[in-house]
Amino acid sequence: MKKALSILLAAGMLATALAGCGASSSSSAPAAGSTSGSTASAEGEYAGQTLKVAAIETAYGTQMWEDVVAAFEAKTGATVELTTDKNLEDVIDPSMKAGDFPDVVHLAMGREKAMPETLIKEDALEDLTDVLSMNVLGEDVTVGEKIIPGFTGNNTTDPYGDGHTYLMPMFYSPCGLFYDAGLFETKGWEVPETWDEMWELAETAKADGISLFSYPTAGYLDAFTYAMMAEAGGQDMFNRALNYEEGIWETPEMTKMFDVLTKLASYTDPSVPSNANGDNFTKNQQLILDDKALFMPNGTWVVGEMADAPRAENFKWGFMALPALEEGGDRYSYTFFEQCWVPAGAENKELAKVFISYLYSDEAADIFAASNAVQPIAGMTDALSEENQLFYAVYDNGAKAAIGTFAATDPVEGVNMKDAMCFTMDSVVSGTKTQEDWVNAVSTASDALRAALK
Amino acid sequence: MQKNKARSRFIVACVAPAVILSFIFLVVPTFNVFRMSLYKWGGYSPNKQFVGFDNFVKLFNDAKFFQSVRNSILLIVIVTIITIGFALVFAAILSREKLKGQNFFRVIFYIPNILSVVVISAIFSAIYDSNYGMLNSFLSIFRGADAEPVYWLGDQKIVIYSIVGAMVWQAIGYYMVMYMASMSSISESLYESANLEGASRIRQFFSITIPLIWTNIRTTLTFFIISNINMSFLFVKAMTNGGPDGATEVFLSYMYKQAYTNSTYGYGMAIGVVVFSFSFALSAIVNAVTKRETLEF
Repeated sequence: MKKALSILLAAGMLATALAGCGASSSSSAPAAGSTSGSTASAEGEYAGQTLKVAAIETAYGTQMWEDVVAAFEAKTGATVELTTDKNLEDVIDPSMKAGDFPDVVHLAMGREKAMPETLIKEDALEDLTDVLSMNVLGEDVTVGEKIIPGFTGNNTTDPYGDGHTYLMPMFYSPCGLFYDAGLFETKGWEVPETWDEMWELAETAKADGISLFSYPTAGYLDAFTYAMMAEAGGQDMFNRALNYEEGIWETPEMTKMFDVLTKLASYTDPSVPSNANGDNFTKNQQLILDDKALFMPNGTWVVGEMADAPRAENFKWGFMALPALEEGGDRYSYTFFEQCWVPAGAENKELAKVFISYLYSDEAADIFAASNAVQPIAGMTDALSEENQLFYAVYDNGAKAAIGTFAATDPVEGVNMKDAMCFTMDSVVSGTKTQEDWVNAVSTASDALRAALK
Repeated sequence: MQKNKARSRFIVACVAPAVILSFIFLVVPTFNVFRMSLYKWGGYSPNKQFVGFDNFVKLFNDAKFFQSVRNSILLIVIVTIITIGFALVFAAILSREKLKGQNFFRVIFYIPNILSVVVISAIFSAIYDSNYGMLNSFLSIFRGADAEPVYWLGDQKIVIYSIVGAMVWQAIGYYMVMYMASMSSISESLYESANLEGASRIRQFFSITIPLIWTNIRTTLTFFIISNINMSFLFVKAMTNGGPDGATEVFLSYMYKQAYTNSTYGYGMAIGVVVFSFSFALSAIVNAVTKRETLEF
């Protein structure tokens, strides 16, 4: 009897230990991150359906997502399970690997875990082309009509270049050079409009012990180099470079770009590579606030990111597109935008598309804009604060927009374009690599990726 | 007979949970790493393509991988030698010499072990800061205030040694306590007679202390080498993220970058297999090389 009891107890222990490992999808909520699910009233077209939405928490906060989800639930009667987290990949990755996908994911490319990039390379995204011709939920215009032209049909939204949209453009931000406008006023300096003026200013500033350039991490140079490519070779050459055209990096145009980058490296504050990593990059941004460096490439989110940081007297954010290569030449500002997509493995794709269409409604866009997140819808910038309007006005002031990313390829082992293009900068600043090494690194990576083009 | 049967049943019931759990969480994943290293796979889609040993062939032609191997081995060798050396000396001083505030030092040395790696990395990032860091401020006493600062985390020739500094600081205390424990079990009479024979302290350390705690040193050495591979990943991730431009990339940080950032999960697993075999081989070698006859007293 006793023996039987002890075996029973041992078995019980084992069972409870193992029960913790198994996850039954019906009863358990997503494990980490904040999850809110509410039962909406049973009315509405989609009553009784459940939609799983996962959104990255960025500088814009999570409140706007909660509000948008609540408004969507009220409109449709569907139930939305919202997951938000700063490291969203870590939260949704395990269940995705196990085949359990969220229906809608708002997570941009260019992050370290590269989740959308991986899904693109794996052909694991749902085709969203038909969303563009759908009516925005509750409105009489189609999604495609509402989105500002140029935000769809580019390399980012149509990664395979076949006219099919797989990623929807969300909050956008012009990228360019940020500086302390107050410092320029105090010193009586002109903000440079060409690179030649930039180099002159560099010498002037050097006499005052101020470096010309700083960058948070070399990864931030992606937007910078994209804009430089467009500036050096025009829109057409930019697109050819994004498709890894053979020999393009040795052309005179791209040589001009590398000349600028190398010269910029020589004027970069020497302490920058030391702090150019995920944990210390704010120190490099602080150089601008402390008037120790003049310019840094960044996006509009930097204002919020550094809101509580100490700063020099009279500090005032200034923002400009990249200087032109010659007097009267084109100036470019790269447009960074986040993306929203549907995994091919999602269960409720139809409702997912309806939800995405709703994200472009005036109602949702206003909720987003209240948190300074700007949807690519005409007229949205009017709702922003004055400081933010200044940034978004860059295109009205004559700068051209560069949009797109390097074309999608099959994954190539050990080869990464961003590493070659951007992170070599660290070595050039510290003097361990030359311009020639840089061009070679980019060409080699480009050749390897061309062979793997989708 | 009946009793024996019951006994083995009881043993099976007791051991089963641990065996089953370690099978599920240890054996199966390890097996999967080996299996996945033979596939080309991004990690999410059902399209896995079997490529045989392709990943390994590419790996052995990948210059960046060799850079990470070089860094890892450098860290393993240097950090191990310095840490174990210092830990032994400190342990001998604290357990053999009559020092004031012995317990105080013991606690102080152990503190880094309680701190998380992220905290230690933050501390060392502050110490190494080129503009406001403690180290450069201290050096400016000798080099003059106008001298070009040393870029501890930015200069590609120095940065790996900066990581060594943080890793040694973190590990010394733990190993020191381990050695102190075994040193305290050495009989006092051995040292007394050595004293009578006129052996110096240093002679005593090498001829009595070290041989008598040799088994302990051996175990900790194997331990340390294995944990070093993991710890170097944590430190690198928190302090430099492999930068500047790959100068501090180690085994696991490179594996992470390939498996995730570069969407080549299978390739990442191939790196995992190499690291796995490497650690096994290294422990076996260390074990064989350090084999001595156990001394008893």
